[in-house]
Amino acid sequence: MTFTGAVGAIFWLPLRAIIALCVALRIHPNVLTLIGVCINLAAAWALALGRFTLGGVIMVAANIFDFIDGKVAHQTGTATAFGGFWDSVMDRFSDLALFLGLLWLYASMQRADYVLITALAMIFTVLTSYARARAESLIDKCKVGFMERPERIVLFMIGAFTNRFAAVLWVILVLSVLTVAGRIFHTWRELEGRPA
Amino acid sequence: MSRPRIEDRLPLPLLIPFRLMYWTYERTTIPYDIMVIAILAFVWLTPPDWLQDPTAHGMGLLGWLLGW
Repeated sequence: MTFTGAVGAIFWLPLRAIIALCVALRIHPNVLTLIGVCINLAAAWALALGRFTLGGVIMVAANIFDFIDGKVAHQTGTATAFGGFWDSVMDRFSDLALFLGLLWLYASMQRADYVLITALAMIFTVLTSYARARAESLIDKCKVGFMERPERIVLFMIGAFTNRFAAVLWVILVLSVLTVAGRIFHTWRELEGRPA
Repeated sequence: MSRPRIEDRLPLPLLIPFRLMYWTYERTTIPYDIMVIAILAFVWLTPPDWLQDPTAHGMGLLGWLLGW
């Protein structure tokens, strides 16, 4: 088993119990998605105040909801096309809210350099998901690139719990740029020679 | 006949940055693990002062390990 596989297996155990509880309580997955977003807004507020550990704890809670909504939908047979759309839109909102929290923090500290780095990371985060969504309207799959949402969220938590947001933002920025470039390249390669 | 893929023609020093950009490995694979370890090493070992981190200061874990 790989290192990341082992870490995933450890976290999967408690998550299975939470999923079972939500299934038993018949909580609608779209409600779970919305609860996750609301909690993420609280995490963004904590980041804006520079309270990273609190922000990290809230992010863990928010992302439990984020993670389980799809699984609950599947297990209760309530998965719908709208649910997938709702989840994607709310995910973008949660991502942007967390970045906005950091933007507020760095702006209040008069750190224009990190306001710029955070803003660029935010732009390429949006482009990462937009590039894939737009590409998949033209080609079958565009699942290339390392920096997807789960990686970003875990990095945000690491940054919050260990107070290393500067390094985390650099990683997110550089790998998001590479991910967007990879998706553009993949789409170009798949579409090359096809009529408009 | 289809054209050869660009990655089949690249020498190793160029193939690594190409693979970083055109990342197609799944999660929980060895390349993914290597990438995760490299990222964690960068995040935790790079001294906050080198990055002019607005919220952390000092030489961090690397400084502690090397006694700076």
